[in-house]
Amino acid sequence: MEHIAPIVIIGGQKVDLSAIIMMVVTSIIVFVLARLSIRKMSVENPGKLQNFMEWVVEFVSNIIGMATDFKRGKVYLSLGLTLIMYIFVGNMLGLPFNFITEAHHGHATFLGMDLFMDGKDEAEFAWWKSPTADAAMTMALALTVIVLSHIQGIRHNRKHYFKHYVQPWSFFLPINIIETVAKPLTLGLRLYGNIYAGEVMISVILGMGWVGIPAMLVWQGFSVFVGAIQAFVFTMLTMVYIGQYSIHEEDH
Amino acid sequence: MSINWTSFVIQVVSFGILFLLLSKFAFGPLFGIMEKRRQLVKEQIDGAEKSRTDAERYLEEQKQALQQARKEAYDIIELAKTTGSKQADDIVEAARSEANRLKEEAVREIESEKNKAIASVKAQVSGLSVLIASKIIEKQVDEKTQGELVDKYLQEVGTKS
Repeated sequence: MEHIAPIVIIGGQKVDLSAIIMMVVTSIIVFVLARLSIRKMSVENPGKLQNFMEWVVEFVSNIIGMATDFKRGKVYLSLGLTLIMYIFVGNMLGLPFNFITEAHHGHATFLGMDLFMDGKDEAEFAWWKSPTADAAMTMALALTVIVLSHIQGIRHNRKHYFKHYVQPWSFFLPINIIETVAKPLTLGLRLYGNIYAGEVMISVILGMGWVGIPAMLVWQGFSVFVGAIQAFVFTMLTMVYIGQYSIHEEDH
Repeated sequence: MSINWTSFVIQVVSFGILFLLLSKFAFGPLFGIMEKRRQLVKEQIDGAEKSRTDAERYLEEQKQALQQARKEAYDIIELAKTTGSKQADDIVEAARSEANRLKEEAVREIESEKNKAIASVKAQVSGLSVLIASKIIEKQVDEKTQGELVDKYLQEVGTKS
């Protein structure tokens, strides 16, 4: 039986409870991790977590340095850090286990709210998943950073920002617009596709029973790798887009 | 694939909140610490550089002082050597002149002793000869003639000796 998301309907809107739970859990984990790392902050004798967090900061600084000019991209360091930590933690969360409740007789409730079962009699609700395995959430992240890059482009680099739509000639305007629209789509869907496919694969391997254990081990390891790479790619592309729009070298 | 728009909105808002919280409570202090460490490292590198140049300078000074001391020691030894040899020469010279003086003195003494001896021998010889002559010619010559004879002989002895 396919797992469906636990959805309640509030004010005519479908609200995905598992998505909200996962957003909150991911955010809390990221925030607690960051807070723990600076708990016993020290200049001369940093703890392990502080060292790790400083490594992450260096890593994101390098990403910014690769994508644009680090001096001018420095203000986006916090954004990059939040993105990479949120996405990485999100990617990892879906891996270790799942939490499923079953509903029969076409009726299930959560905190007194009726869960939406799409008219079916029986359903299995998956409460635990990667927040990044949901297109709504990856698209939200992608659109956020893309909109931010456009705003920053208009604010800091207005002339170049408007000019780039008609470059090299005004004939290219439609192509440039398509490119602009494609950017958030590719950014969000790449992340979603990778993580969602990983989770689908995990459920397929789970269906194999005992035989699937070696495959499961391999796939879990690979998913960790994919999760890390996707977090990196998302952050990298964010910085590249922001760099393209707002931090543009004058000489080209 | 379907996009749940409430999830979308909630994600945007929650990500924004997370970003603000992290910036304010976690990354801000962390960046501050990293900046401080950068300063600290820079200061320490500067300090190390300074002490290194200081050390080099001191080393150079020590080397020069050592060189100076060595030169002085050499000079002192040279001086001592020349002084020593000069003194030795002086001593040898003094000893030599002393020896010469002593020798000459001895020679002179010997000469005067010899002269004295000769004079005394002369006196004795003249006495003896007078004695002998007087004994031989006692009866033949009177006292006046005898005196003349003795004088004559004495004169001869004086010229012959």
